[in-house]
Amino acid sequence: MQDLNAPANPLETLAYIIAQQISDHSVVYIGTGIPMVAGILAKKTHAPNITLVYESGGQDPIEGDMPWSVGCPMTWRKSPTIMEMSYSFAQCYNGYVDIGFLGFAQVDMYGNVNTHMIGKDYHHPKVRLTGSGGNNDLSSLTEKMVLVGLQTPDKFPEKVDFITSVGHLTGGNSRQEAGLIGNGPAAVISPWGVYDFHPVSKRMRVKTLTPGVTFELAQQLTGFELVKPEGDIPETKLVTP
Amino acid sequence: MEMAKYLYNEEAVANLRISDTSVLDRLVDFESARAAHLKKEHAKKDKRMTIGEAVDAFVKDGDVITDGGFSYVRTPHQAFYEVIRQGKKNLQMIGAPNTNQSFFITYGLVTHSHSSYTGAEMRGIDKVYDRALKAGQIQILSEWSHGGVAQAFKAAQLGVAGVFSKQMLGSDIVRYNPYLKVVQNPLKGVHDPVVFVPAIYPDISIIHCHMADKYGNAYIYGPAVNDLAVAAAARKLIITAEEIVPENDIRYNRQGQIIPFFYADAVVEMPFGALPGSMPGCYYWPRQWWEKCMRFGGASAENNKAFCDEWIMGVKNQFEFVDKLGGAKWIAEARRQTKAAEGDNEDIDFSYEEYTLKHDSGIYY
Repeated sequence: MQDLNAPANPLETLAYIIAQQISDHSVVYIGTGIPMVAGILAKKTHAPNITLVYESGGQDPIEGDMPWSVGCPMTWRKSPTIMEMSYSFAQCYNGYVDIGFLGFAQVDMYGNVNTHMIGKDYHHPKVRLTGSGGNNDLSSLTEKMVLVGLQTPDKFPEKVDFITSVGHLTGGNSRQEAGLIGNGPAAVISPWGVYDFHPVSKRMRVKTLTPGVTFELAQQLTGFELVKPEGDIPETKLVTP
Repeated sequence: MEMAKYLYNEEAVANLRISDTSVLDRLVDFESARAAHLKKEHAKKDKRMTIGEAVDAFVKDGDVITDGGFSYVRTPHQAFYEVIRQGKKNLQMIGAPNTNQSFFITYGLVTHSHSSYTGAEMRGIDKVYDRALKAGQIQILSEWSHGGVAQAFKAAQLGVAGVFSKQMLGSDIVRYNPYLKVVQNPLKGVHDPVVFVPAIYPDISIIHCHMADKYGNAYIYGPAVNDLAVAAAARKLIITAEEIVPENDIRYNRQGQIIPFFYADAVVEMPFGALPGSMPGCYYWPRQWWEKCMRFGGASAENNKAFCDEWIMGVKNQFEFVDKLGGAKWIAEARRQTKAAEGDNEDIDFSYEEYTLKHDSGIYY
């Protein structure tokens, strides 16, 4: 049996922090992995009236267990309608989706995401990863994106090895110049901190840090220079039993 | 060298090191797809046959084949295993996702990949694909997002040459996809890049459905994903179905997600045809099977071969597969689980003993 009074582990902590980004009554597009846990957590706690959308076509399910996959019946449990995949993503383009949550293998200083491959040579990768799935589609179209993953200097490089999904591209207004829809990533969440992007340069900036994590430590866990905000850096609010 | 018929994205062709671009042509060759659709049997005739006959007649070496359903939801796994047992060659695979190409790669059937997503979400990345790429056993012909593939199939169903998309712009995907071209939105006076995504036409698609009549009218319950578009686009279509029903059952009772009969070349009665995937309304996943597949099979080429030999080559058909999972008892439990997951049954405990490399839980219930 799980001990419900045990302290949250790092992944549970991550799911909790992500869930805090979700406002009640919004339409929330959910990628696989931790975002799925966070979406369900938000719905079961502070945001019971959100509508969850998944790329397999499921949307607006009634409450159920944790889905095993984005194609799990839990993602379309008694849904009033199930979308075909092309129509599901189109809802982001057409402005019906408020916020999207995605994972990453690498994220760079401008919030560009890589889920394709690790290494400098496409033809001889160190590791081939999954590829885009819906990651690119959500990042290209959704009004507000939140990116979620683990943080090491390799996972937060200055430049990702392959741009699967455009965040703020090369900073400034380069995302708009490239023709993309929506505002791009608003936040990056790791077990160690919550980051946002400088409004002009669009470089990644520390917003809040997990209790015990200093700016210097966060910097050491990052492969590029983080933007330090003015004044004290608040602690990320954590779950209490 | 044969001249390619199309003006492909040259940067992508160079980045992917494709020396003979004619290998790309079939996927976007609308004229030959239309000709194939015109030549099909249009009369309402009984098209029932066995999966062995259907695969033998309609899956040809060199075909572009699609991954139907969604990874491991309503995917025609058992038909794919028959394709493997018949040893087809030089297949190209496309799909959103294209996860199941790895079963084909294991036996050398798929040599070219149009890649959108491979892997099993939280259960891990696809090490079979990783190993095959590193060994040069498979060549990537194009990179896509899920939405890009979905739009390309949908364009075919819409009956248009392509669509102008805002997806994939600015990313490396457009630099690694010969079919995509970034152009200016012709109606805008200001800078407004869009991606031209062409309609795509796979040679062969196998779609697993809940019910079909003998002519090929086929009913899908749950997510159709891309399959209604894929069915319209494919030059050849094999329908496999959990059950064959009278035409009037479809006419009177099954309005909704229907593939029309004249798209279909073959109709195969194939209960449990989606296993080891799940089938909405019918059966939930053997979850440990997938965990063992990704974790044990992922660990080495030898492991993967042993696993696939046991579950694909080691069984003759889907009934033997069910027997290996635990037979009628397994089916009863999987049906109870899927009904509960859909809210059609009392909630049950979904916890299970996970398979890990350190703990072989067994793959039976």
